[in-house]
Amino acid sequence: MKYAVTVNDETRAVDVTGASGRYRVGVGDDVFDVDARLVAPGVYSLLIDGASYTAGVLDRDGVCVVEVGGEWYDITVEEQMRHVLRTRGGVGQDARNRTLIAPLPGKISRVAVEPGATVNAGDTLLVIEAMKMENEFKAAAAGTVAEVRVAPGQAVNAGDVLIVMA
Amino acid sequence: MRIKKLLVANRGEIAVRVVRACREMGIATVAVYSEADREARHVQMADEAYAIGAAPATESYLVVERLVETARRAGADAVHPGYGFLSENPAFAEACARAGLTFVGPPAAAMRRMGSKTAARTLARELGVPMVPGTLDAIGSDAEAARAAREIGYPVMLKAAMGGGGKGMRLVRRAEDLPEALRAARAEAAAAFGDAAVYLERAVAEPRHIEIQILADAHGKVIHLGERECSIQRRHQKLVEECPSPLVDSALRERMGEAACRLARTSGYVNAGTVEFLVDADRNFYFLEMNTRLQVEHPVTEMVTGIDLVREQLRIAAGEPLALAQADVAWRGWAIECRVNAEDPFAGWLPSPGTITALHAPSGPWVRDDSGVYAGYTVPRYYDTLLSKLIVWGADREAACERMLRALGEYRIVGVRTTIPALARIIAHPDFRAGRLSTAFLERVLPELRANDGRHASIAAIAAALAAHDRARHDGAPTDSTALGAWRTAGITGWRRP
Repeated sequence: MKYAVTVNDETRAVDVTGASGRYRVGVGDDVFDVDARLVAPGVYSLLIDGASYTAGVLDRDGVCVVEVGGEWYDITVEEQMRHVLRTRGGVGQDARNRTLIAPLPGKISRVAVEPGATVNAGDTLLVIEAMKMENEFKAAAAGTVAEVRVAPGQAVNAGDVLIVMA
Repeated sequence: MRIKKLLVANRGEIAVRVVRACREMGIATVAVYSEADREARHVQMADEAYAIGAAPATESYLVVERLVETARRAGADAVHPGYGFLSENPAFAEACARAGLTFVGPPAAAMRRMGSKTAARTLARELGVPMVPGTLDAIGSDAEAARAAREIGYPVMLKAAMGGGGKGMRLVRRAEDLPEALRAARAEAAAAFGDAAVYLERAVAEPRHIEIQILADAHGKVIHLGERECSIQRRHQKLVEECPSPLVDSALRERMGEAACRLARTSGYVNAGTVEFLVDADRNFYFLEMNTRLQVEHPVTEMVTGIDLVREQLRIAAGEPLALAQADVAWRGWAIECRVNAEDPFAGWLPSPGTITALHAPSGPWVRDDSGVYAGYTVPRYYDTLLSKLIVWGADREAACERMLRALGEYRIVGVRTTIPALARIIAHPDFRAGRLSTAFLERVLPELRANDGRHASIAAIAAALAAHDRARHDGAPTDSTALGAWRTAGITGWRRP
């Protein structure tokens, strides 16, 4: 499985193969033999090409917080495919902050707002089911919903306009 | 009179500490807990435990009558207040005495005398204990201020008479800057405290905070156990303490210790206490205040002197004479304490309550972890953020620093953010290693403290990818909460480094 891992604002491609604690992990151009054991909840013992590390891993609000060697890293992990879809850009630059555009193809599983609704930053607007996942989309800023162009169950394509803010 | 059963009127690591001393002395223990603390470690460690009210301390740990009543009902004959909460409240000491309970601390009268800053300063002045030179009363005219400043010597500090929190304070380095500084300080003081009165003190540049531990028995004997240096502070809260101080030699220790004992003796002090001093670069020391209780950082003194301070407190409270003479007190090696708090040092020391999902405490030679928490414990949001105190001992300061770095490296707490990574950076800092300490140290090096330098970025990336890999295989279709494109904002996806 290929992942896009963003550490310190730099995204690395990490390719994980293997199972049962023994993995081949590609990070960029490097490939490592990794023996990973979960030794306590959220604590991994890693033998990376023989070097021993202990990593504390905590998922906090979608951000993976990793502690290793007394250093803390805030990391986001996405499947590579989703990362490509997302960064290919579903959002029209001109309509910044006004229009929610589907960044990936999928099915609308839930619409949480109606036209005329006022939303606060962080409120859920809608949920798209794609790649076997429920993807929640939230408001970046407070505002009023002008249009809702989709309904639950509807299939959408990347680039479709879903919601327009006033 | 022997203490048979003791109620610990506190929580967290200090309650655990007191229970441990009691158990070693064959004293039965009674813990108390608020609604938020039923699962706290001290409750599990004591012989008995009783609920004393709602989560806010004002409705539980600070309610004098309820604590006294609980002690009485449980059949306790003594009360240990720990630190904080009611430990320096003379009314609590009196209430215990009225209920026939031995209060493990000084008599209420001595607490009043030394607890009030003005009263303590007056006593210090009478005893000739040095204080920061300055005017005793508010200054009147600008001419009077100029005369006083000339006598005290520049640089001087202007302080609001009614002040606090840095308001109305001005550092004045040269005589020609005084009039403008006076005007500004008075205006600020008037706005903040409704009183424009200011006074002058000699400015102590980059002072060090050094305190003397004393023990006084009920029979008039007072000894000191040397100093602790607590200069590593942020917002007047100590973070790293050590014993001895890299600045203090035996001559200075003797002078400071003698001054502290004189204060304690004259005020009728009994039990363990701490006299705090500011010390300047020329090793001049100035009386600051007295803490009439056990200090958080008492373990560093214990490690270097071999004296169990809580045990001594209990013996003194039981009326026993001090078994030690001043000449029996010897200091061997070096001890350092780091405070492990549930705070995010890289986000303005923001408290980080939550559940500790995994915890591995360091151990090995000369490592002591005075902890109040455990894996699975939820850190409540109602009390201070101290989780544990990590204390190490080494033959000298260098060995103690290396050991502390080793121990901090072993310490793993998952689930809440802690001060551990910042503590490691402080101990490793060249100025700390050289013993160049001052109360301004932490503020000065704070910008250098980073969550990471990228050294382990690849390792962290592998760990994060493997965790996601595990999760994806176990959960099937996890919800991925993503806010995209223009809809993405730091505020909605959680924590970000500032």
